[in-house]
Amino acid sequence: MKTKTSMAVWSLAALLGLVLLAGCGKKETEEQPAAAPAAAATPIDPATAASVSGTVKLDGEAPKAAKIDMSQDPACKGTNTAENVVASGGHLANVFVYVKEGLGNRTFDVPKEAITLDQSGCKYHPHVMGVVANQTIKIVNSDPTTHNIHPTPKDNREWNESQPPKAAALEKTFAREEIMLPVKCNQHPWMRMFVNVTKSPFFAVTGPDGKYEIKGLPPGEYTIAFVQEKLGEQDVKVTLAAKDAKTIDATFKP
Amino acid sequence: MPEKPIPENDPVVSKSLAPHYVISMVILMATLFWALWDEDFGQRPWKAFQHEWKDRYSTFLKTARSQSGDAQKEIEGSADYQKLKQDYERASQSAAPRIKEINEKLRDLSAQILAVQNVFTDRRAYVSASTYDIETETSPSAKERKRRNLEEYKKESTTAEMPDGKKKTFKDYDELEKTYNDLKNERTELSAELGEIIKPGNEKKELMDAYLTDHMVNLTPSQLTGLQNKTEAWTPKIVQINVNEHNADIVREDSSNIVDRCESCHMGIREPVKLTAVSMSLKGKKPDEYARAFTSHPEPELLKIHDPDKFGCTPCHQGNGRATTSVEKAHGNYEHWLWPVFPRGNFEAGCQICHSADMVVVTNDVGWVVSEGKDLFRQRGCVGCHRFEGYDKEPEDLLSVAQQIKQLDQEKKDNFKQAGDLMKQADKAESNEEANHLNDRAVALKVTNSKLDLRIVQLDRSTKSLLEDMKKVGPNLKDIRLKLNKNWIPVWLKKPSDFRATTKMPNFRLNDDQIKAISAFIWQSALTDSLPKHKPGNAAHGKELFESRGCLACHSIGEGDQLQGGTFAANLTRVGEKANYDYLVRWVHNARERTRPYCPLEKKDIGPEDYKKKGLPYVFDLEHSRCPNDGHELQVQNMTVMPSLRLSPQDAEDVASYLITLKKQEPSSYPDASFIDDPNLKEEGKKWVRHFGCAGCHEISGLEEEGRIGTELTIEGSKPIERLDFALLTEVAQRGGSEPITDPDDVARLPEGPAKQPWYDQKGFFEHKLAEPNIWDKGKDKPETEKLRMPNLHLTKDQIRALTTFLLGSQENPLPPNYQYRPLDYRRDIQEGWWVVKKYNCMGCHQLIPGQKTSLMAMARYKDAQEQLPPKLLTEGARVDPEWLQRFLKNPSLSTTDTNRNGVRSYLQVRMPTFSFSENELGKLVRFFQALARQPFPYIPEEVPILTAKETEMARSLFSSTAAPCLKCHATGDPAHDRFATAPNFLQARGRLKPDWMERWMLDPQAIAPGTSMPSGLFKRENNHWVFSGPTPASFQGYDKDHTKLLVDYILQLTPEEQRRVGAAMGRSSAASGSSSGAKSSGSGGRGAPE
Repeated sequence: MKTKTSMAVWSLAALLGLVLLAGCGKKETEEQPAAAPAAAATPIDPATAASVSGTVKLDGEAPKAAKIDMSQDPACKGTNTAENVVASGGHLANVFVYVKEGLGNRTFDVPKEAITLDQSGCKYHPHVMGVVANQTIKIVNSDPTTHNIHPTPKDNREWNESQPPKAAALEKTFAREEIMLPVKCNQHPWMRMFVNVTKSPFFAVTGPDGKYEIKGLPPGEYTIAFVQEKLGEQDVKVTLAAKDAKTIDATFKP
Repeated sequence: MPEKPIPENDPVVSKSLAPHYVISMVILMATLFWALWDEDFGQRPWKAFQHEWKDRYSTFLKTARSQSGDAQKEIEGSADYQKLKQDYERASQSAAPRIKEINEKLRDLSAQILAVQNVFTDRRAYVSASTYDIETETSPSAKERKRRNLEEYKKESTTAEMPDGKKKTFKDYDELEKTYNDLKNERTELSAELGEIIKPGNEKKELMDAYLTDHMVNLTPSQLTGLQNKTEAWTPKIVQINVNEHNADIVREDSSNIVDRCESCHMGIREPVKLTAVSMSLKGKKPDEYARAFTSHPEPELLKIHDPDKFGCTPCHQGNGRATTSVEKAHGNYEHWLWPVFPRGNFEAGCQICHSADMVVVTNDVGWVVSEGKDLFRQRGCVGCHRFEGYDKEPEDLLSVAQQIKQLDQEKKDNFKQAGDLMKQADKAESNEEANHLNDRAVALKVTNSKLDLRIVQLDRSTKSLLEDMKKVGPNLKDIRLKLNKNWIPVWLKKPSDFRATTKMPNFRLNDDQIKAISAFIWQSALTDSLPKHKPGNAAHGKELFESRGCLACHSIGEGDQLQGGTFAANLTRVGEKANYDYLVRWVHNARERTRPYCPLEKKDIGPEDYKKKGLPYVFDLEHSRCPNDGHELQVQNMTVMPSLRLSPQDAEDVASYLITLKKQEPSSYPDASFIDDPNLKEEGKKWVRHFGCAGCHEISGLEEEGRIGTELTIEGSKPIERLDFALLTEVAQRGGSEPITDPDDVARLPEGPAKQPWYDQKGFFEHKLAEPNIWDKGKDKPETEKLRMPNLHLTKDQIRALTTFLLGSQENPLPPNYQYRPLDYRRDIQEGWWVVKKYNCMGCHQLIPGQKTSLMAMARYKDAQEQLPPKLLTEGARVDPEWLQRFLKNPSLSTTDTNRNGVRSYLQVRMPTFSFSENELGKLVRFFQALARQPFPYIPEEVPILTAKETEMARSLFSSTAAPCLKCHATGDPAHDRFATAPNFLQARGRLKPDWMERWMLDPQAIAPGTSMPSGLFKRENNHWVFSGPTPASFQGYDKDHTKLLVDYILQLTPEEQRRVGAAMGRSSAASGSSSGAKSSGSGGRGAPE
C-alpha cells in the first residue's frame, strides 16, 4: 500500500516537472578477490642456500649434575642425573638454536617424516627436540613400566595420555609455534623434556660437543636465537649472502 | 435606481493580486513537496539504511559465495578429506561385485515372483473365499461338501509363464504356495545382505560429508544464493518485533507493549553469516555509520537464550524501540526518554536489569564486565555506605527473623488461650458429642503449638547462622590497641593508598584536625584487654609456610611489578610497620578469634566479669555463643571472611615472625602521635567517625548499630538525569567543555579519558563521581560538614567501567516480573551459591568455570608443579556425595584431633582452610555444587555390588599391574610412599565419591579436570565395553563386562589391609623405604623434579 501511494505521488511530481530526480548511479562494487588460500611453501633456490654453524660454550664451572633417586619405581633401572645443564669440557649440549626472525612471510612444507620421542630408562630421548608446527611426533615407550606423556604448553592445547609398556606409539602434533614447551611424566617426576615448535625447519639442537649446524637458508638478514631451558635465551643478528657459511658461537654463563 | 459608482480606490479594481497568488502558490507548492519529501525521507531515515543495506549486503554475499565455493574445493583437496574419500571408494569398490551380483539376482527373483504371483493371488483369493464360506456354513452336510470341493480345487495343477518364457507347472496349490513363499524369502535375505554390504560404504560417505560441513566456512552456495535472492528482492519496510503478538502477557509496567523496530536499520543483527563493520564497509573505506549499524549481533549465543522474538531488543539494550524518525530518537538519546540506549562499553548493564539477583551472570564463561562490577561493589565496601538489595542482607534478615519469632510467639499465646477456653467450654458442654468436638479442637491447637515451637527453634538457629554470616569489609577497630602501632594510625588516615596502593580503604580527604580527632576516638574507644605473649618464631619457615599454604590466593605481596598473589585481601608488603606481633600470631592462627564477644541485645562487649557474675567460665566460641546475662545469641567471631588455615601454634608464630619482618621503614620511625590519648579529642572524633560512616565497614565501639550513610543504589540507574546533581558542572557537562577533573591521578581513572564531548548523562555522572568523588564540590564554598563525603576509592579505569556498567543496569525495572531471572528450581541454588562462593573468594584457589584463572595459577611456584595446585571443581557436585561435602566443608581436615593437614589431599602443601561456615551457608554451598552439576538432591547412593573372589582377584591383578600403576601416584598412608604421591588415597573413595563419576573419571580425566596429572587413554572401547588399553592379566580372558566398573567396585571395597598387601606386592613403598637419600634429593616436599 505504502509503496503504491508513494509511487503515485512521485509520478505526479515527475509529471509536474518541478522536481528532477537525480539518477542515483549505483557504484558497481567489484568482487573482492577471494581470501588467499594457504600458500604453498616458498621455494628456496638450493644454489644460493647459505648455512650457519658453530659451537655453544658454557663459560664457567658446569653445576654438578644432581643425582636422581629413581627408587620409587623398580622398573627404572640404572642411575640417572639431572639434565638441565649438560656440559662437558665447556661445551653445552641441549641448546635449541633456531632462526627467530628474518624469514618474513615465507611458508614451509611440513616434513612428512615423524620425529621420535623415546622413553627409555625412565628418561626422555632426546631431552630437547625441535619440530615444525604440525609435524608428527611419534612417542614410544621402551620401558617395562607405564609412562604418561603430559605436555604443559602455553599456546598449544594441553593433553595427558597414558602409555603402558609395549603400547602402540602415540602420534601427536602441535599446531602453534612455541619454544621450550615442557613435557613431563607425572609418575616419574624427574622425567622432563622440551619440545620446540617452530614455523620453519631451520633449527638445530647442540650435541654433547656443543656443535650445531643449520643448512639451506635463503640469503637474508636473520636473528638466530640460542635457547637453553635453564640459562635463558641469547639472540644474534646475522646477514647471510648467497652460499655463505658463517660461524656463530654462543656462550652461556651458569 | 442610479448605479453607485465603483469607488476609485477599490483594490480589486486598482491593484493586481497576481503576485500574492503567485507567492502563495509557490509557498503552498513548496510546503506540499516538503511534506511529500518529509513523508518519504525526512520521517523515514531507516529507508536510507535499508537501501544501503541492500547494496552492501548483496556485494558482501557475492564475495562470500566465492569464498565459500573456494573453501569447499579447498576442503575437498585436503589430505584428510582425500583419505576419507579413498576409504569410501575402497569400501564401495570392494563391495561392488557382490552388490552387482545381488542386484542381478534380485531383479531375476522379482520377475519370477511377479510371474508366480499372478497365478497364485488368483487362486489364493478363491481358497480364502472358500475357507471363509466353509467356516460360516451352518449346515454340516453343506460344510462337508464345500470342503471337498476346496480340496479338489487345491489339487488342481496350475501353470505359470516364467520370465524366461518357459511354462512351469505346479502340481497343486500347496506347491504353488511354497514356491511363492520361498521366492519371497530368498528376496528378503538378499535384500538384507545387500544392506549389510552397502553399510560400510554409506558410513564412510557420511564421514566424508560430515567432514565437509564441519570444515565449511560460512554457508553452502545454495544457502548463500537464497540469501542473495532474498536481499535483492527486498523492498524497504519497517521491520519490527511485536513481543505481544506471541506473548500477550508481556506488557511493561507503564502498560505499553514492547514493539521494537530496531531491525529496520540494524538489518544484519540476525543474519546467519557473521557481519563485521569492516565487511560491511564500502570498498577501500573505513567503517561508517551504516557499516557499524549492519553488523551482526556479537553474541549469537546470547540471542539463542534470549530469543529476540520473545524478548525484543529494548529490554536488554534500552532506547525507544518504536521511534523511527531519527537515530537519536530510536536510541532514546533525547530528553523525553527515560531509558536511553546503553552506551558502548557498558552494554552489559542490560544483563543487570533482569539478573540483579545473580552474583555471577554467566556460569560458563569468564570476563563479564557486569559480574566484575558486582564483585567490586562488595569487595571495595561500597555496600558499607550504600544499601543495595541482595548485598549484605544479614542485618535485614535478622530483623525479619526476629519479627517472625515475635509473631509466632504471639500466635502461640493466642492458641494456648483459645485451647484453654475450648476445654472450659467442653467441661460445661451439654452433650458428650459436643464436649468431644471441643476437646478435639483444643488438642489440635496444642499440636499446632508444638509445630510452632519447632519453627521457632529453627528460626533461632537461623539467627545464629545470620550472626555468623555477618561480615565487615574492614577490620574490627575495637582491637586496634592490641593490634596497631599507635603512631602509624594518623599517617594511614592521611591517605591510605600512599601506604598501601591497592588497599580497599579509600581516601577521605581528611584535614589534620579531623585525623587527630578520629585517631583519638578510635584509639580511646578500643578494647584494652591484654594478649598472651608469644616467643619469636622462625621467620624463614614462616616465609615458606606463607608462600606454600595458600595465603597468596587472597593476599598479595610486593609492590608494582613485583606484586604477586590475589587482590581479594590486603597487600602485606608493609605489614611489619603497623602490626603488633602478638596480635598477628592470634590473627594468623585464627582470624575469627575475638577479644570479647558482643551482645547485640545489650549492645555491649561482654567481658570476663559478666561470665564471673553467673559463675560461668570465660569461654566463647561457635559452640558457646549464648550471652551469660540474657541467653541471647552473641557475636563470638571477628566479622572477617578470613578463614583459619589450621596452623599449629608454632607455625602461626613462624608466619607472624615472617610477616613482622615485612617493612620499608622501622615502626619506630613514625612521628609521635601521643595526642591520640587526649580525652578532649574523643567527642570530636566520634562526630567525624559518624559523619564519614566509618562503622559501615568497621566494627567500632558504640557505633555497632549505625546505619548506612549513603544513598541506596538499588535503582540508581533509573534516576532521571535531572535528579543527578551535576552542581556547578551541569553546563560544562552539557556543553562538553574542558574536563573539570584536574588531578592527573583522577583523570587517569576516567574510562573514556578526559571529556571531549558532552557527558551530561548517567554514564558521565557515574564515571566522574567514581573517578573523583568530590567533583561536584568544585567551585563551591562549603563548611567541612557539608562537603561531599564519598571517599576516593582509587579505582582503575576498568574498575570504574565495571562499576558504571553495574550501576547503569541497576534500575527500577519497567519490565513485567516474569522477565526477572528469579528461578525456583536448581538454578536458584546456583544463584544463591555464587554469592557465598564470591564472598569467601573460593575462586582464588579453585577453578569453577572452565578457563577461569585462579590467583595461585599465576604464581611461579606452581608453574612446573601444577599437580600442587588446589583441585579444579568443574564437576564437584557430580564427584562427591553431598553429605560428605557438607562434612568436609565443615572440617576440611576430616579429623577432630589431627587438624594441621588436608583431609583429602594430604600431599598438597596448599591448605583447604576452615571457613567456619554457618549452617545456612553450608547448605547453600552443598546445594550449589549439586545444582551446578545438575545432580539430583537429595542424593541416594546406589548399592555397590559385592565382588566375587574371582572378580576381586581380577581387579587386584589389574590394579597392581605395571600397566595400570594406580598406586604409583595415589597416596596410601605410608609416609615413605606418600613422599611421591600426587593423588588422593583410594581408601577415601567410599562415602566420598559417586561411582558413576569415578567411572567417567577413569575414562577421561582430562575432560573433567583439564591438565590433571591423571592420564587419559587408560581404557578403550571394545565390543561395546570399556577394556583396559594396556596388556590385561590372563584372568581377564573371556571377561565381557566393563573393566572400569570392576575397578570402581574394587576401589569402593578396598580395605587398608588389601591396599597394604597390594602395595607390598608391587615391590615398592615401604619395601624401598630404605632410600633416605631419596628424601633428600626431592627436598622440595617430594614434589617436582629436582632438575
